[in-house]
Amino acid sequence: MRKNRFGSRFLIGLCFLFLYLPIFLLIFFSFNAGDSSAVWRGFSLQWYAELFHNRLVLESLATTLLVSLLATAISTVAGTFAAIGIYALTKKWRDPVLVVNDLPMMNADIVTGVSLLLLFVAFFHGWGSVANWLNSWQSLIRFPTRLTLGLGTLLIAHVSFNIPYVILNVSPRLRQMDANLVEAAQDLGCTWMQAFFKVILPEIKPGIVSGALIAFTMSVDDFVISYFTAGSSIQTLSMAIYGMTKKRVTPVVNAVSTLMFLAVLIVLVVNNIREARQAKLAAKRASFEPVRENPRVERFREWMSTPRGRLVRRVTAIVLCAAFLGTVTFLTAFTTSRPVVNVCSWGEYIDEDLISEFEAQTGIRVNYQTTDSNETLYSLLKSGGADYDVVVPSDYMISQLIEEGMLEELDYSQIPNFEKIGDRFKNLPYDPENRYTVPYTWGTVGIIYNSALVEDEIDSWSALYDDKYAGQVLLIGNSRDAFGIALKYLGYSMNTTDEAEITEAYELVRDAYERGVFQGKVMDEVFQTMEGGNAAFATYYAGDYLSMLENNEDLRFVVPKEGSNWFVDAMCVLKDAPNYDNAMKWINFIASTDSNLRNMDYIWYASPNEEALELYPEWYEEQYGEELDPEIYSIMAAPDEVLDKCEMYVCLPKATRSLYNDLWIKLGI
Amino acid sequence: MRTKRGWFAFPYMIWMALFVVIPIVIMLVYSLTVPVETAEGESLQGSLENFTGMAQYMSVFGRSFWLALIATVICLAIGYPVAFLMSREGPGFQRLAMALIMLPMWMNFLLRTYSWMAILENNGLLNQLFQKLGIIALYNRLTGADIDHFQMIRTSGAVVLGMVYNYLPFMILPIYTVLTKLDHRLIEAAEDLGANASTVFRRVTLPLSVSGIVSGVTMVFVPSVSTFAISRLLGGGKQMMLGDLIENQFLGGAYNPHLGAAISMVMMVIVVICMLVMNHFGDGEGEAVML
Repeated sequence: MRKNRFGSRFLIGLCFLFLYLPIFLLIFFSFNAGDSSAVWRGFSLQWYAELFHNRLVLESLATTLLVSLLATAISTVAGTFAAIGIYALTKKWRDPVLVVNDLPMMNADIVTGVSLLLLFVAFFHGWGSVANWLNSWQSLIRFPTRLTLGLGTLLIAHVSFNIPYVILNVSPRLRQMDANLVEAAQDLGCTWMQAFFKVILPEIKPGIVSGALIAFTMSVDDFVISYFTAGSSIQTLSMAIYGMTKKRVTPVVNAVSTLMFLAVLIVLVVNNIREARQAKLAAKRASFEPVRENPRVERFREWMSTPRGRLVRRVTAIVLCAAFLGTVTFLTAFTTSRPVVNVCSWGEYIDEDLISEFEAQTGIRVNYQTTDSNETLYSLLKSGGADYDVVVPSDYMISQLIEEGMLEELDYSQIPNFEKIGDRFKNLPYDPENRYTVPYTWGTVGIIYNSALVEDEIDSWSALYDDKYAGQVLLIGNSRDAFGIALKYLGYSMNTTDEAEITEAYELVRDAYERGVFQGKVMDEVFQTMEGGNAAFATYYAGDYLSMLENNEDLRFVVPKEGSNWFVDAMCVLKDAPNYDNAMKWINFIASTDSNLRNMDYIWYASPNEEALELYPEWYEEQYGEELDPEIYSIMAAPDEVLDKCEMYVCLPKATRSLYNDLWIKLGI
Repeated sequence: MRTKRGWFAFPYMIWMALFVVIPIVIMLVYSLTVPVETAEGESLQGSLENFTGMAQYMSVFGRSFWLALIATVICLAIGYPVAFLMSREGPGFQRLAMALIMLPMWMNFLLRTYSWMAILENNGLLNQLFQKLGIIALYNRLTGADIDHFQMIRTSGAVVLGMVYNYLPFMILPIYTVLTKLDHRLIEAAEDLGANASTVFRRVTLPLSVSGIVSGVTMVFVPSVSTFAISRLLGGGKQMMLGDLIENQFLGGAYNPHLGAAISMVMMVIVVICMLVMNHFGDGEGEAVML
């Protein structure tokens, strides 16, 4: 075997190269001076510096580590014992149990997530009356009557999707093991437990280790199931990252991943060197004396197996458990005793210093969660999985939420800053009497094109359906925008409910699709694809165009002459929000001119606060010492003559929404 | 021991009943009902409507299972040799390699996938490399084509690559753990009896590692079928996969969890059948050799 070492290592090395190639690339871009993950703009450590101020990322990292480690520990132990039990079952029982075991893996994540959420919600519902009954029946313990999703449910969800992986890894080793060994050990006087630790465990250890590794991996990486089971006060790193995909995933995440990667790598290598050294020493000793462990360790082991040692062991275990439970209770008590407001918004959609400022000013803790689309948010709300106070959906989703009675009216007397919102952003179709909303940002949708790849002057949507640019066009990845644009190009309203018109729009898109005009459907990937010059055309939001422009100067933006969509994202409060007054304070704080100026600067989306809108160029000059290009400003805050061409989405009736969806699926079949 | 510790499985069976079976029953109920508008709002009504329309998604089912199958075969073709070679290395190397194989997967899925996109794009790393090496010019000369890049991103190939990349470690680890525990006396015995290297592998090593292969194939094939983000990001969402289709029912504009649940149920039944067939086959193999 030795002779082939080189060839073998070469092949293993190739496999590792494949596994690590993208990892190196993502580490590389964590040192990028720009915020792109496609265009290199020089070396910088700014993302690492920013990381330590980024509370959302740090908090979610802590949650991720806590949940993943706990879930891995629990599921490894539980899964190992379950595997031993399953292995001991007769075949008649074993096969069905193994099939059920595989079910969570087979199910689409989203189905698992939603169904677990429905289960939890149903349980909480039932629990309310049980707890009331228990409380009225005795007064010794007060049971909480209102349970909410949180760490507990998140942990249950993670454990239940992790255990199958542990079992799948432990089972093969068990089947390989010689069952006679255990019997022999027991014949020699071992109790079953001793036989387990001395015989079974060493035999199946590699399986347990690989099971634990896989479980940890699944936990760290899971997004969908966590999203539906985590509730509104905590979020994992994956959830934070997916939340950013409404806009761009910041390289801060690359930085945090790089640090994690290096930390694990160092631990691994150090551990390996140490073990290798020990093995060498042991081998040396073995040549003239039997292998012996450190005498102190050995004495300690002996002492541990005396009755006294056993007692100490048990007490330590109990103390550790109690300490752990104590910490958890303390932390929950600590976090729940403070006044809070639960906010859910898009990722990278706020200057985060505003959050800490608000907390310092009011003493209210902000649980800031993010999500990636109106539809994802809706799905969570609809299944009863969130008790957010403030959400920031877009116009059409707001009208849908109002229609379905999911929003609470605002108390405008507590929001004096509402005054400053421009009149053109009040009483919009989604909230005609303006009882539910305070606008957050607004903007337009348009064509982004790469002037290095396109010679023509672009002023019409026709470019998106033109054979001339076959393979160079990115279709926006959601049905409402893709068909809405086609409708606009055909001269219809984006809000039409006429089936014939919508079908015509569909046919326009489908024909272009079949002729190979589109390179693909994209959402957030549009950033890196356009920045890297990999496609000539895309449709996206004006604010995001400005952020792409920083990484690629050839990009241009135009609101086509046929008109386009303009949107408003607005803050609203959910029905039965647990912290209504705090929510009013938050909304008022965000609606202030100062907050609006800073958000506008951070996210490049225009503000609805008329004062901030006017002040911004001046403010920009003060901040950066250079004048704001008026052209950029007019893209960011489209002037009235552009807005006049544009149409705002309204909530379509259900039948039309289904039609959109069916046609969209037809495109991909 | 065989009959004695069977009760170890009971707590887990109760757990499964609570957090696996009940949610699936909830989804089954969802899949068998449709919402209807009544005077006092929406209510549910039993219906098979969700299943009857399933035929139109045949191509999506076919595509998903086909691509997942290809990805599984590739994973096995790469994973088995790597696991085999790893199990022959020194213990220090093995420990390190085992952890290093899993480590990339601890980086967030989206970041990894964005990296792959940057590698595969028309103007990406690989195409630039091909350009520098003159491979594209060579290709043009040989075939008379005139291209300035290979279209790699937003193709089915990229989807398979994404699956292989994300699930390869799940194939390597279980095979590797089984191979490290292989009884070397059996191999020696086979050699003593005159078997050459390939016969030893075919008749002894391979059959003895079947249980690891079964675990690995399960962990690659099953999640590959229902994956959604890979096809959206690397496949450009041009051709839908089952995961996308289901996701679309929950997170699309129409919000129809009933249809989503129904599609998911059908998918699950097909996967269960695949698994049973494989398990049966695997069991037979493994035990026949053991005896």
